[in-house]
Amino acid sequence: MRPGIRAPDLRRKGLRARIVLGYAAGTLLVSIVLVCVTFLLARSYLLDQREASLTRQAFADANVLDSRLATAGTEVGDVLDELVPSGGADVVLHSGDSWYSSSLDVGARDVPGDLRELVSTEPAASAVVDTADGPRLIVGVTLPSADVEFYELAPLTELQQVLSTLAAVLGAGALAATAAGTAFGVWAGRRAVQPLEQVAGAATRIAGGELATRLPATDDPDLVGIVASFNSMVDALAARIERDARFVGDVSHELRSPLTTLVTSVEVLGARREELSPRGREALGMVEGELTRFRRTLDDLLQLARLDGAAVRESAQPVCLATLVRQVLADSDRPAELLTVPGDADTTVRGDKTSLERAVRNLLDNADRHAGGPSAVAVERRDGAVLVTVDDAGPGVAPGDRERVFERFARGPRAARRSLPGAGLGLAIVAETAARHGGAAWCADGPEGGARFTLSVPAVPS
Amino acid sequence: MALRLLVVEDDDHIRTALRWALEDEGYDVAEAGSGEEALQAVAVSAPDLMVVDLMLGAMDGVDVIRQVRRTLDLPIIVVSARADTSDIETALDAGADDYVTKPFAVKEITARLRALRRRVGPAAADHVDEVVLDRDPVAPLVLREARGTVHRGEEQLPLTLTEFRLLCELAAAPGRVFSRQALLERVWQHGFFGDERLVDVHVRRLRTKVERDPSAPRVVVTVRGLGYRLDLQ
Repeated sequence: MRPGIRAPDLRRKGLRARIVLGYAAGTLLVSIVLVCVTFLLARSYLLDQREASLTRQAFADANVLDSRLATAGTEVGDVLDELVPSGGADVVLHSGDSWYSSSLDVGARDVPGDLRELVSTEPAASAVVDTADGPRLIVGVTLPSADVEFYELAPLTELQQVLSTLAAVLGAGALAATAAGTAFGVWAGRRAVQPLEQVAGAATRIAGGELATRLPATDDPDLVGIVASFNSMVDALAARIERDARFVGDVSHELRSPLTTLVTSVEVLGARREELSPRGREALGMVEGELTRFRRTLDDLLQLARLDGAAVRESAQPVCLATLVRQVLADSDRPAELLTVPGDADTTVRGDKTSLERAVRNLLDNADRHAGGPSAVAVERRDGAVLVTVDDAGPGVAPGDRERVFERFARGPRAARRSLPGAGLGLAIVAETAARHGGAAWCADGPEGGARFTLSVPAVPS
Repeated sequence: MALRLLVVEDDDHIRTALRWALEDEGYDVAEAGSGEEALQAVAVSAPDLMVVDLMLGAMDGVDVIRQVRRTLDLPIIVVSARADTSDIETALDAGADDYVTKPFAVKEITARLRALRRRVGPAAADHVDEVVLDRDPVAPLVLREARGTVHRGEEQLPLTLTEFRLLCELAAAPGRVFSRQALLERVWQHGFFGDERLVDVHVRRLRTKVERDPSAPRVVVTVRGLGYRLDLQ
């Protein structure tokens, strides 16, 4: 075995598989040891019992023999015929130089030499021998008075049957214990992995924006630490996200007061346009234009801060996207014919009306900015989602830029020119709004050569 | 005669610029730089309209509105730096009629003020003079639209103009469900993207005045997911 190779193999199997394997191997090992010990103990006990009873019988039979032989003129062979040992045992004896046997199955060949030596010194001795018809227990005693070695041989087949039955029962028990151990391992593995799955689920929800998600408190001493540190990590994360969002909010808020003064003062100036010199009027126009742009950027920043704050779910309500798009088109003085709603599908989603409106408006503004306006707008329901597509007839977006355009402060190549308004936050807001609603936003080739921007939001099941 | 408008705002620059712009729009503008000044100005000159900033200093805009509402029914517009906070709801609860978010164009404020000043809604033009909303034998609830009054028995209820117009819109078609959207357009003249909190808060305030048990309203009923309905009792 090469542990350097086996170990990573096992690790690749995963925590649950390792726990199951561990329990299975452990129970198998323990049951094998128990089975072996039990079997050996039982075997030696049964053998001892058999030996003891055979020894008693041998002494009894030998005494009978002895007393008969004491009667003058009695032949060993005659006495042997009279002896009928119980339990199917046979008798072999050595008297003088001859061997006598009570049965044809056994004879001198079945008495081992070392047993004979033992018998010459001890009052009784025993051994297990293999005979022509199976193993037998042989017990020998000496009758020193008659110079006779008396051996009694008992068959062990019955004992063997008992032992093999015992072995089968014990083996089955070991297998059952291993199976139970494996099953317990599966259960324990599941139990061990369960907290990890909880953590994974919580992490997924947090990544989806549910920052209030925490792991439930536990009194399991092994998990208390993990739960506490996970929850404090999420606390820290949420606090940080909130701080960042608040910072953007605070900055924008601080900018709002001077901006309000500026906007209002410029309005007052605008009402007195006629009193200004031509150069003054031109400058006023520039200030008005830049102010509008400033306001929009600030609004965009605030909108992003709001989206980062993850408050969309709280204000979620059913919103019909077809109606919403129609309204945005009307509000921005675009022809209603731009919009097609195939099959008058139900285009209701759950969401925040204001931010969805903002996202749709940004898509239309984006087409204005980079492609001379949208050429077609569609709202359709497809695969459990409502798609808002905005086509344009502009130069399109290069495949390599299609992800980047949704990043914050990303601007198209033409936007390098000062005349284009917007700070490049519009599509980032679209992407962020889609994500907050559990949807997506993407960009592809339009059917007429321009670009097609799509906002997808999960539909309310109809 | 020009309408008298009180601007309550603690930022000097904004207040001054706002006064210029509103004077350009033809209002007779008075200024107040703090909550205390505002209450004094209200007591002395009784303005027709108020524009109130929410963050004022020691006494904030919500307190000012609450104080003014005790005695006067005049359109109040709140100016706030953030529209997504609960401040707006608190201010509406205290009695403000509408709000605008900074930075705003003055045209936005004047449009809101004009909407709030309309005495009679278009739906009410061909309306009968007296509608009994609740036929309680002891204290019936009676709306007299032309006179601009609502009585519970002998007592005249102190509805604000906005609450009164909300009630008139609902009473124009008893039993019909009005969506929040529709009410926003009719009472406040907001577009599709107006803030529906306005309707909810005003309905809540209206109920505390016209219902016998505001926690179990029977006259102005909520229709879940659709809007509100007025039931004649």
